Amino acid sequence: MKIRPDVLRTYQSVHTWTGITTSLLLFIAFFAGALTMFKPQIDQWARPASLIAQPVSNERIDTLIEQAVTTHEKASQGFIVNFVEGGAALSWFEQGGGRELVRLNDELTYATLDDADKLQISGAQTNELGDLIDQLHRTAGIIGKVGHEDLGVLVLGIAAALYFIALISGVIVLLPTLVKYLFALRQNKGANRFWLDSHNLVGVVSLPFHLLIAWTAVVFAFHDPFYGGLGVVYGDKPLFERGGKGTQTYDIAELPSMVVYKQYLQQMAPDYKLEKLEFSQLHTPNPTVAAYLAADDRPLRGGYNDIIYFHPFTQAVGFSTVNLPEHGVYGPVVKSFFALHFGNYAGDYGRWMYFAMGLLGAFLFYSGNLLWLEKRREKKGEQRKSVKVMAALTIGVCLGAMLGIGSAMVASKWLYLLNFPLNHAYLWVYYSVFFAAIGYSFYRGAARSAIHLLYALFAVCVAIPVTSLLALVVPGMPTWTVAQSGLMVEFMAVLFALVFMVTANKAKYRAYYGERNSIWALPRKNELESNDFQQVTA
Amino acid sequence: MARLLPQDKIQPHWWRKSLISFFLGLLLSYGIVALFAWFGPGGLEMGMKVQFNMWMLSVIWLPLLAFGFLFKTAKTALLWLLIANAVVYLIFVSLWWLQ
Repeated sequence: MKIRPDVLRTYQSVHTWTGITTSLLLFIAFFAGALTMFKPQIDQWARPASLIAQPVSNERIDTLIEQAVTTHEKASQGFIVNFVEGGAALSWFEQGGGRELVRLNDELTYATLDDADKLQISGAQTNELGDLIDQLHRTAGIIGKVGHEDLGVLVLGIAAALYFIALISGVIVLLPTLVKYLFALRQNKGANRFWLDSHNLVGVVSLPFHLLIAWTAVVFAFHDPFYGGLGVVYGDKPLFERGGKGTQTYDIAELPSMVVYKQYLQQMAPDYKLEKLEFSQLHTPNPTVAAYLAADDRPLRGGYNDIIYFHPFTQAVGFSTVNLPEHGVYGPVVKSFFALHFGNYAGDYGRWMYFAMGLLGAFLFYSGNLLWLEKRREKKGEQRKSVKVMAALTIGVCLGAMLGIGSAMVASKWLYLLNFPLNHAYLWVYYSVFFAAIGYSFYRGAARSAIHLLYALFAVCVAIPVTSLLALVVPGMPTWTVAQSGLMVEFMAVLFALVFMVTANKAKYRAYYGERNSIWALPRKNELESNDFQQVTA
Repeated sequence: MARLLPQDKIQPHWWRKSLISFFLGLLLSYGIVALFAWFGPGGLEMGMKVQFNMWMLSVIWLPLLAFGFLFKTAKTALLWLLIANAVVYLIFVSLWWLQ
């Protein structure tokens, strides 16, 4: 396809600028985002079996709830019933609770019944590992709030808009050679050509996914201002119907049996599986229960569930993400936008696809930076400062973020040995490792630190399954069971470890035996000596 | 392909073009969505149409931002987007008036 040269030049600039300004943020967002595909599994892996609520049979759950709410003030305000195979487990927030994604200081109380139907209580701090990875995905780790919104979310929203422009401009630049070279991975034309070919191939093949992620991320970040503008369009017509405030408080003794809720939800959402009921504000005139409903074969509005909020005593529905007739034709369409971002519409198969595409996305941004560096490289002598800084940032930020997440996962089990607030410790581990990696990258230079950080990543990934093994024998660690997560996290850690080791070896080889004027080259140990030798023998 | 004369080539005008696409593009997106919201299928009140409308804003706006650099100069960008806005809002006002 022929494109005018001035158009190509214009969009080459657009692509370069939008790409280089957003790539590092997007790398973190995509790597963490890929992991969130399996957030429930990561949580399950992180939480010791001995520190979660022990279920009772479906027949005894009502007895358990009744005992708990009559003896515990917090439980009478709100509690959570988790439905597991053949039973249900009860817990409530002793401290914290609420709608925020990440709540570092929450403490849960778990309740169960002994053989004599006597209430047994235990408590533990919540383990927010999965939510923290999710938060990293949504904010790229940028801390702070603007109003009630995270600063990081807004920054990523802007980055997502620029990334949309980068996608369009990238395709325009590629159009003239698209057909001829799309599947060409030219390895014999130098490293630069190979990176360019793979960057283009990944970008084009996953283009629909990327356009969609960019667009939905913009909406997730800026829906509030968008609605604000729509308010003007709608004039004096309200955008949303406001539910009236309740006036009547109910006695908790009137709370129906769990069987009643199950039957009710069976009617509302026949082919969903009820995962949990979350009761809140039971002592106020506005009590709610949120029913988390799972399904593997259809778009869901939440990451892993649809949710129906309703009144626990009257069963009046407040808000439902399960399609209802009154949502009209637009309800399912809007829901599909959410589902297309969350990748929840095709069960585990879809999640693995999104996991792979998320990692490929991270690769896209990383390779884009490498191409930028190659283009600006001096062919001889000292490199420009901008190239050195960008190279160090690329290595430090990308590898540092992965190293930070890996380190937090390794720390997870050990932290239970120390008497330290778990979720705060995750943050300390992530940020200190992340910034240490960036510092190291600037201190030692990109070429050397790339090799060292890749070996560090290898070590951290190996440490994950090793820790799991040790956790079985070290006294004082809470018990984990293999059945909890089916060893998936350990298996993936080993796989990542192998990839990092191969990459580290390749980086090392390139540094010492690759092109001498590359920014990734390092002086060989024997280079000086061999020069001396040549001088002597000449 | 004949070589383009310098005056026929796209001029960069990065900041001006970006700002014009940003503001007039957003205004145009709201105009098109307003047409759809009031006079499109389902009217103003149907089900979750308000959410759909909110999502559609960026569907129109983002491509406008991306393709805005195709205008030869900042001036042509300004002119075309002003015309497009005028047309959309005129249609909106006339439909409103006919109602």
